[in-house]
Amino acid sequence: MRKKVMITLLSLSAIFLAFTIVSAEKVFRPSTELPKLLTTSNDSPRLVLITQELKTSFWADVAKGAEKLANDKGAQLEVWGSYGSNSDEFLKKLELAIHSKMDGIIVQGLDNEAFSELTKVKASFYGIPIITVANDVPKQESLRKTYVGSDQFEAGKLLAEELLRDMDHEGEIILLSDEESHYSQQQRIDGMMEVFHSSPLIKVTNSQTSRSKEQVVAATQDFLNKSPNAKSIIAVNANHLNAMVQEISKRTQVEPYHIYSFDDGSDAFSLLQQGKIDALVKQSPVDMGEKSVELMMDWISNESGPLDTDGYITDIELVKRADGS
Amino acid sequence: MKTIQQKIWMLVAIVLSVMIAIWLTLTFYNQKTQDQYNDILQRYLEMNEVTNASQLVITDLNNFLIDPSNKNESKLNNSTQEVFSAQKSVADLRNVDNDFILTSYINLIDSFIETVERSVTYQNAGDADSSVAQFSEANRISNYISEMTLLIIDSELKSYELFYRDIIKKSDELNQLGIWLLLLMTSFLLFLAYLFSLSITRPIHQLRNAADELSKGRFEMPIKVDSNDEISFLARTFDNMRVSINKLFDETQLKAQLEMELQENKLLLQESQLRILQSQINPHFLFNTLNTLSKKAYLEGSEETSDLLVNVAGLFRYNLKRMDRPVTLYEEVVVLKQYMEIQKARFPDRLYFHLEVDESCLHFEMPGLTLQPLIENAVIHAIEPLEEGGHIWFRIVDHGDIVRIEIEDSGGGMSLDKRQQLLDGAIMPENGHSTGIGFSNVMKRLTLFYGIETIVSIESEEGSGTKIILQLPKTGGIGNADETIDR
Repeated sequence: MRKKVMITLLSLSAIFLAFTIVSAEKVFRPSTELPKLLTTSNDSPRLVLITQELKTSFWADVAKGAEKLANDKGAQLEVWGSYGSNSDEFLKKLELAIHSKMDGIIVQGLDNEAFSELTKVKASFYGIPIITVANDVPKQESLRKTYVGSDQFEAGKLLAEELLRDMDHEGEIILLSDEESHYSQQQRIDGMMEVFHSSPLIKVTNSQTSRSKEQVVAATQDFLNKSPNAKSIIAVNANHLNAMVQEISKRTQVEPYHIYSFDDGSDAFSLLQQGKIDALVKQSPVDMGEKSVELMMDWISNESGPLDTDGYITDIELVKRADGS
Repeated sequence: MKTIQQKIWMLVAIVLSVMIAIWLTLTFYNQKTQDQYNDILQRYLEMNEVTNASQLVITDLNNFLIDPSNKNESKLNNSTQEVFSAQKSVADLRNVDNDFILTSYINLIDSFIETVERSVTYQNAGDADSSVAQFSEANRISNYISEMTLLIIDSELKSYELFYRDIIKKSDELNQLGIWLLLLMTSFLLFLAYLFSLSITRPIHQLRNAADELSKGRFEMPIKVDSNDEISFLARTFDNMRVSINKLFDETQLKAQLEMELQENKLLLQESQLRILQSQINPHFLFNTLNTLSKKAYLEGSEETSDLLVNVAGLFRYNLKRMDRPVTLYEEVVVLKQYMEIQKARFPDRLYFHLEVDESCLHFEMPGLTLQPLIENAVIHAIEPLEEGGHIWFRIVDHGDIVRIEIEDSGGGMSLDKRQQLLDGAIMPENGHSTGIGFSNVMKRLTLFYGIETIVSIESEEGSGTKIILQLPKTGGIGNADETIDR
């Protein structure tokens, strides 16, 4: 009897002890580590890459290249920006970056007054170097150190020449571009026009639209109605492509149209793969990111002396639809 | 030795210390979590402080621009100082996750303060337009600060999210631990209490059983108690008492036995003396008369009668003298011969007496008047009742350590029952004994003298005679110290 009671109590204790230990282990295991406190700030250069079009594949590539090189060079880099070409938000970020006294700002160029005010006055007031990337601004209007990206004039020419070959140097071409003038778009158009002027049988119709999708649709309807014979379309701003192609395919087949554009829109490449558009000028976003950070670091550490204000040109190539038609 | 009180204290101490340990652990743990929680909350408050301070600066700056008095300026300076101190405390919040944005934040605050100072400088220089421009700039930066504060708090929330979830999860786990701990403590305490109660009650049980045994009169069992407290002390004392009682008891018993034996001895002596006294009605007169008769018979020429009378007289004398002192075997044999002479005169043709004596044994001592009653028995039972008479053999043989004395007759013998009764002393002597001393008296005196029960043995069968054997140890008796009064 005594033994029974003792054994029962002992075994009960043992069982409860086991459960208690398991439970205690759970409770007293070290909790999630809080982020480590730093007593001193990181002295490495703080760079920021600001774009209007966060998360598009083009800018994601730029950011990837920039981050890779920043990592290699021991710089801190953050990517700021706005979505969907929201220039107000973009400018605010730029101003914030300037007030935050970044060591260097790599920014997508925006050709308007506020941008040049910020870069020319504020940034130079704080002594912050600015490099434009992918889209340039006129160098006399901003005190940017340099530009890293494609030569848009050349890109326009490349596209135009290919189109002319496809069209056998005759026919009507529609140029769909933004209402507000953008320096880089203008350069592209300039490049194209130079080519088109040499072909007397080519007729170029400019169609302008603003950013919103409805506007793009309206503009598309407009040029389809006004120029039913035009079979070649160049979307100078690749972001307009999607809405435009959709509108065309509502009316008729997309196939007969020669649709040419650039790769810096959110879905330019997928449209090309689907065969809805015919050719793209492919730029080198990763190179742009890497090169811009490299130049910025050089500038900060004063290694290479003054930068070439004309800019550092990255490669471009023309990519046609897979079936070649 | 642990006292029961110590045991109780120990139990209480164990329980208390376990509970204190648990309480301390849980309190410490709780405190730690609380501290972490407070730290995080503190971070938010400090960040929010920056926003508040910067907005206060804007208000003060505005007041100063409208009314550039000293009072407003000092107010502005104060609030600027507050922004500074808020900035400083925010700088301590730097961690791996927010390093970049925090540096930006601090720089932004710097820019803000610089802008405010520029505005004040322009105002003091009288350049109102620039001052207002700087003011609006400062206002914008202040807004940026608010936004960035929210952004940082947001990122803080993200980096501490896991931690919060952990706290919630652990609080659940803590509850569970509490339940298990409660169960564990309950069963453990039950176990301890059981052991404790057992350690007290078991010795008491053992003690009770021992007392039970003792009360039934069993003093032999030692009292054993497996304990080391007061009860074991009690048990030891109790055991000592038992041993003492036991010893006393034995002593008393031994004494009583001795007393009894002594008493018996005295009684036997008194009995034989009484018998002798009864038979010695004026023994000196009888003795003298016998002697006179003997002389007279001798003078008248009857020599045989004279000898017989001398024998009778000798027998009387022996009977009178030799009761209370040991005699030699020789003396016994002499009186035996005298007695047989007398009997031969009684039964001249019927009694055949054969004597075989080892002379070397005759000097051993033995109680007096032992052989004569036995021979008398033989005469009474083997010779008297028989017309044709009988034989009596008397032998003394040296048997190493002992002297063996055999008295054999050719009489009718006796049954087994009768023999046993005789040995037990259940048969009273009949009348007709010359000395009045019977078989049982002889046997008892022999037993008392030698201290051995098996001195006398009887070999007999019905119809074929009786043989009484005395085996006397040569070492002599122990009963010689009897202090009987010499008469």
